[in-house]
Amino acid sequence: MNKTTLKALLGLASLAFLLLLPRYVDSPYALHMMILLFLSVSQGQSWNILGGYAGQHSVGHAAYFGVGAYTTMMLMHAKQVVPWVGVWAGVAAVVVVALVIGSICFRLRGPYFVLASIAVAEIMRLSAINLTTLTNGAEGILATEIPAFKIGERLVTDFSTKVPFYYIGLFLGLLTIAITYWVQHSKLGYYFQAIREDQDAAHSLGIHIALYKNIGLVISAVLTSLAGSFYGIYVGFVDPPTVLGLDVSVQIMLICIIGGMGTLWGPMLGSLVLVPLSEALRSNMITEGLVKIGLVSADSRIGLFLKENLSHAHVLLYGILVVLVILFMPDGLMGFVKKMAARRHREAV
Amino acid sequence: MAVFLQSLISGILIGGVYALIGIGLTLIFGVMRVINFAHGDIMMVGMYLTYLLFTLMGIDPFVSVLISFPLMFLFGGFLQKTFINRVLNAVAQNQILLTIGLGLVMSNTVMLIFTSDYKILTTSYSSSTIQVGGGVSVSTPLLISFLITAAITAALYWFLLKTDTGQAIRATAQDRDAAQLMGINVSRMSIIAFGLGAALAGTAGALISPTYYIFPQVGATFTLKAFVITVLGGMGSVVGATLGGILIGITESMSAVYISSGWKDVVVFVLFLLVLLFKPSGLMGKSRT
Repeated sequence: MNKTTLKALLGLASLAFLLLLPRYVDSPYALHMMILLFLSVSQGQSWNILGGYAGQHSVGHAAYFGVGAYTTMMLMHAKQVVPWVGVWAGVAAVVVVALVIGSICFRLRGPYFVLASIAVAEIMRLSAINLTTLTNGAEGILATEIPAFKIGERLVTDFSTKVPFYYIGLFLGLLTIAITYWVQHSKLGYYFQAIREDQDAAHSLGIHIALYKNIGLVISAVLTSLAGSFYGIYVGFVDPPTVLGLDVSVQIMLICIIGGMGTLWGPMLGSLVLVPLSEALRSNMITEGLVKIGLVSADSRIGLFLKENLSHAHVLLYGILVVLVILFMPDGLMGFVKKMAARRHREAV
Repeated sequence: MAVFLQSLISGILIGGVYALIGIGLTLIFGVMRVINFAHGDIMMVGMYLTYLLFTLMGIDPFVSVLISFPLMFLFGGFLQKTFINRVLNAVAQNQILLTIGLGLVMSNTVMLIFTSDYKILTTSYSSSTIQVGGGVSVSTPLLISFLITAAITAALYWFLLKTDTGQAIRATAQDRDAAQLMGINVSRMSIIAFGLGAALAGTAGALISPTYYIFPQVGATFTLKAFVITVLGGMGSVVGATLGGILIGITESMSAVYISSGWKDVVVFVLFLLVLLFKPSGLMGKSRT
């Protein structure tokens, strides 16, 4: 059996595993974790297309995530538009935003794009706070009920359990992976990588720089918007800091940096590290673990301090991770793995 | 007319503090070509330092500048030597990400220590005003902070123009390699520049603490404002940052009066995008690739 068939078999096996999982696991918490993982993979892959392959590091992806989430939620809340229709309105809105950003920023190089992407995300966040009649301002939008999904008269799902969300999330994750794979192996992807490696050389070879940067941005923004809409409907609540804050942009970017930018596996690895880690912090699992193995007593001052504060510390952890990865593993986990593999290969030869 | 004058004056006064933040950022960018995304968070550290000095030792926030300036200088030097220095030759995005990470570490460490509650530093003069005449009044703490800002800016100009170290810093900013060939210790200049940048940001934090809420996430807004100021003035230009700071201060206070205070930051960011669109080299910048 050669390597390619092995890879394909492994892929099919894990796909079958993921498809069948909800049949055998009915713990809502486990499904919730898987959904978070799918969401993270799709966010990471979306960013990866623009940031990893085309080399345009947006620090404002919260704009697309939030506009997608808000459009779907606003339409559902105020106009009773069903979410699977609202999603496409979100996509349309995001394409407009992305093209505005692209036309302003892509005429400039380097740090200007980063700065402008942050500025646009901030404009979106501040608008969401101030346009109270549309967005309910800082209070956010709460959707208590999602209409049942019917094809004709046949009820497909009424969204009463996490299972439908699991499959939507899985589909979204797979879709972003497939699109990344397609980008990586198509002419478009080669154009992106040429622009990333040397913009002037790419230009002199006749690649229309601004056009392809904008194509990359639109693909990335549309996928991020889908992830945003999914998040909004799944959680049932959006407000400016949770979907439009700078933290969101950093988190999306971090998935790729930790895993390795510009690689197909990077965002998946990054998600596998980040999601469990931040969940463990958020749910105070780490403190409980430390208490259980007897390192810290639960009623001691340190124990109480950890219990009280560690759950808020996941952003601190993001910060530390970014610093460590940039200083010691600038190519992320994938880069590290590749380096190790290359070393083993050299030693074997 | 009184309203117009009033908002113009308060705009200029707050603009002075913005200028201080912007000058720090532009100095760092000029010498190292690094965009410091932790700049607002460094300012936030300065605010908490002032708050601590005030609540623990009763030192007036404006007097505490004498203590926080050198402390923040050391803090900046430390950051440069341990973190920034390692990525000076890395690709731009890694520098940006590193400083974003450092900023997150700062704001969240402060949040762990002080919680995310809003703190207010109330002095005897916090809400007092001085009547200028014609129905225009000036807030006392803003006026004092503007005067201190002006003094610091003047001292900084003198330092950069007249002293050997200042000239070495400017030479490094102009051409790092040539400066090194001329025998300038560029890595020391980098530490000094980052230290100065941090000290200026910290001082700005100290100066606004009597009039502004103190909370761990306050930095993000100021980081963004600092960018707007430096891009408006021209990246790397100290004069540009001074002008940019005042201009942004006026824009903000005018739009707060004539549009609404909720939208004033949006106006600033839209202005920023317009500058990027029409004059990306800024007011004082030379186009340089």
